[in-house]
Amino acid sequence: MTIPISTYLIYLAISIALTIWVGRTLHKNGRVFLVDVFHGNDALADSVNHLLVVGFYLINFGYVSLALKLGYTIETAEQSIEALSFKVGMVLLVLGGMHLFNLFVFSRMRRRSKVHYHPPIDPDGFTAVEQEA
Amino acid sequence: MLALTVLYDPECGLCRRAHEWLAEQSKLVEINFVPCASDEARKRYPQLNHDLTKQDLTVISENGWVYFGPKAWLMVLWALTRYRDWSYRLAAPELLPTTKRVVSLISQNRYQISRATGLSR
Repeated sequence: MTIPISTYLIYLAISIALTIWVGRTLHKNGRVFLVDVFHGNDALADSVNHLLVVGFYLINFGYVSLALKLGYTIETAEQSIEALSFKVGMVLLVLGGMHLFNLFVFSRMRRRSKVHYHPPIDPDGFTAVEQEA
Repeated sequence: MLALTVLYDPECGLCRRAHEWLAEQSKLVEINFVPCASDEARKRYPQLNHDLTKQDLTVISENGWVYFGPKAWLMVLWALTRYRDWSYRLAAPELLPTTKRVVSLISQNRYQISRATGLSR
């Protein structure tokens, strides 16, 4: 196998493994948040969780495949490692960004679902109300 | 709590403007407006001290809880979809004294503010 081909294959292997790892982590740990957001409605939480993870995979694999092209030729093993580290670094940054964005979405949904029904303060007093005829 | 009645001062331009603004806002709780110390207010709340309601904004819930002055303002914010979060923030122990000071300042000077901003007719 030539050096460029093996560089691409290693890049794909590392990127796909990382994406799947982060995706599974999100899927596993995001569920608790979503169950809370949907007030214990497990079915809805699982459904939204799954849909979010699908979106996450699509965006990440899309990025990984778009970023595959190097644009220059690799001749030595050093160049291969440098190219790999750059590409994998970019994938990691995108994954990190997506991960933080997901967390933001989760926490935002959670906050939104917490509608408070009690008044902010105690009343000053009480008065009788005449019901309108 | 499902409905609030706001006893407002119909003679104050700022209050009328606030009333118009409130009417346009999306609400989580129904708000009714009754001019303070009016016949309608006296009929609905026979035991209330109506002279006091002329001094500052009064809000009464449908089951008779009375909120006066700064508390009434907070209850109005609480009734609005966009500002419910703010009502809790402003009512937090750290901010409540400031909220009360600012609201009292505006309330006590409402006629002067109305005049200065050209809201009094």
